[in-house]
Amino acid sequence: MQKFIKFILKYKEYVIFVALVVMSFSLISIGDMNKIGGFRTGVIGTIGWLQRMFSWIPNPAALKSENSTLRELNFRLSADVTKMRHSLVENQKLRDLLKLRETSDNEAVVADIVGRSTVEMRNYLILNKGKNEGIKNGMSVRTDAGLVGMVIIASDNYSLVEMITNKNVKIAAKIQRNGINGVLVWEGGEYLIMKNIPESFDVKAGDFVLTSNFSTKYMKDIPIGTVIKVEREQGSLFFKLIVKPSASFATLEQLFVMINLPSPEKLQLLDEMEKKLKINKR
Amino acid sequence: MKLIFEESSLKNRLSIRLVFLSMIALGLTIVHVVLLDLISVAGITPDLLLILCVWIAFSEGQTVGIFAGFVIGILLDVASLDVIGVNALSKTVAAFFAGFFFKKGLESRRAGFGFLIVLFMCSIIHNLIYFLFYVKFSEISILPFFFKYGIAMSIYTTVFGVFILFFGLSKKYS
Repeated sequence: MQKFIKFILKYKEYVIFVALVVMSFSLISIGDMNKIGGFRTGVIGTIGWLQRMFSWIPNPAALKSENSTLRELNFRLSADVTKMRHSLVENQKLRDLLKLRETSDNEAVVADIVGRSTVEMRNYLILNKGKNEGIKNGMSVRTDAGLVGMVIIASDNYSLVEMITNKNVKIAAKIQRNGINGVLVWEGGEYLIMKNIPESFDVKAGDFVLTSNFSTKYMKDIPIGTVIKVEREQGSLFFKLIVKPSASFATLEQLFVMINLPSPEKLQLLDEMEKKLKINKR
Repeated sequence: MKLIFEESSLKNRLSIRLVFLSMIALGLTIVHVVLLDLISVAGITPDLLLILCVWIAFSEGQTVGIFAGFVIGILLDVASLDVIGVNALSKTVAAFFAGFFFKKGLESRRAGFGFLIVLFMCSIIHNLIYFLFYVKFSEISILPFFFKYGIAMSIYTTVFGVFILFFGLSKKYS
């Protein structure tokens, strides 16, 4: 026994070391923090309180890192906000289109614009729907806001739309308030012009302009625009109305192609009338 | 009678020293947990309590050093919300190693540069044992790990050990 005690005393550093290492491993193997939960909770509280006490000391390295992280986050959020704004606008447009589709008596095909071309004051759009969706030449094209143009060529999957902002286009139109008829033309710029309205007629700025029942090209009662100015033509007895189109041509994305064509009988009658007039002239 | 009185005086002095060291340990633990982030460089911080352990083992002897390493390690484990025993183990081993450089009657050596060399070696041993519990070697390459957590942290700790050196020198010349 004495020998053992002597041995222990001789190598006490090693014995203590081994004992403490064993104790350390035992504590590590326990692992579960909850076993000293109450005490540790107090320690956590105290450390938290101390950290809050010293939180006023600036930490340049941490601030730099935080700054960098926040910038990155800001960039991502900014991109997200842009996306969300875009989605919001798109959502509103689609809702408007849907509302129009629900309220419209006429059948329509929704098409996306896939191309746009301008040739010497003639504006055209290419849509991603064609004959396969029932689109034919002569069909009116509009947005929820108003008239855009007319299909002039339709292939199986695409169609070409002649916009109303075209120097060759003449639109039979009427003032909604009193039914006064006239012809709308486009002479460049952002407005349409309605000419040959007699001075005696009651027209004023703010009047709403629709396609006329007399139109052989466009469906009747499609909104075209609003009169913003009434001008007196020099040396004549007629008014010239400046009409602001309802459709925003610069931001077009989706359009409605109105499936209904003007009545074939009506077109036939007009054709016959033109033929007779030509014969009479001869 | 005189012998008994001298022995009692020595015990008192040792007790006072232990109380003093305990207070330093407690203070350094608080600094370590609360303020050490302020001096971190690329995520590397000096281990102030390891410096204290090595200093105790270097100046008081291996037995006191081992005990100090264990107790300080437990204190740090509790305060830093670490797994209980990890710091205790690594600091006990480091203090055990540092204790080999204690020579009775040559206490003036504690103020020398030898202390820094011992501190650096102890720090490497300490860091390797400590991080052995946290790092999966299959997921990292050993060489960068050794340089970052073995060498870089040890160098940073050794740099802070210079303060102990100055303290020892001032004590020596006072």
